[in-house]
Amino acid sequence: MTTTAFPRVLPLRIRPALALAAVASALIATAMALVWAPTDAVQGDVQRIMYVHVPSAWTAYLAFLVVFVASVGWLWSRRPVFDAVAVASAEIGVLFTGLALVSGSLWAKPTWGVWWTWEPRLLTTAVMFVMYVGYLLLRSLSHDVARRATRAAVVGIVAVVNVPIVHLSVTWMNALHQLPTVLRPGGPALDDRMLATLLLGVAAFTLVYAWLLATRAALERARQDRWLALG
Amino acid sequence: MTENAAFIAAAYLIVWGSLAAYVLSLRGRR
Repeated sequence: MTTTAFPRVLPLRIRPALALAAVASALIATAMALVWAPTDAVQGDVQRIMYVHVPSAWTAYLAFLVVFVASVGWLWSRRPVFDAVAVASAEIGVLFTGLALVSGSLWAKPTWGVWWTWEPRLLTTAVMFVMYVGYLLLRSLSHDVARRATRAAVVGIVAVVNVPIVHLSVTWMNALHQLPTVLRPGGPALDDRMLATLLLGVAAFTLVYAWLLATRAALERARQDRWLALG
Repeated sequence: MTENAAFIAAAYLIVWGSLAAYVLSLRGRR
């Protein structure tokens, strides 16, 4: 087996450009969120937490969808690059889910009066977080590269069901968490400048995710090559 | 001083600080 049999995840020259785009858009999005966007009429300035909370949650959804696609890719083709993308995306997805939980908690305390409450959106998000932490723990149980990738892929495919459950949980019963404001029937229901700021935030977080994914997956590919070389 | 400024500052610092820490951790991992 030669180490050149598998393509690199992304050519090295793309990653610096991705890093630059991610950092630049993050700086602009943060400035817009803290300065340019209007103050919420009801909640006041604390609503500005939305501009990191919602993009964190969106990026977590995206990351777990990528885990699903990469897991199918591994089971279908047995190409190691798919397993590298799956583990990278799961790890980053756990990070973004954690950030959505923490930023949500910091928003909940001044608006709801509590740091945490067991209402549907929070409960389902906590379950999603724990399931993907479990995915990462499962991977550490075996050092057989192919067996580990296959076991993980099965979990990666099953666990994606969390994404629509979390997203729709707010519509299933009377909840404390607010309903979808952007992805709703009838179009987005918020101020134009708020919407523009939120969308740029989502774009920035997506670029950060792409950069982290490329970097983390490349790391995993290098590990795979070393394991293959060791036989 | 904005009301709830501490909550806003904490949310932004934790989110961007964690992402920056993750980037740095990737540099140290092999």
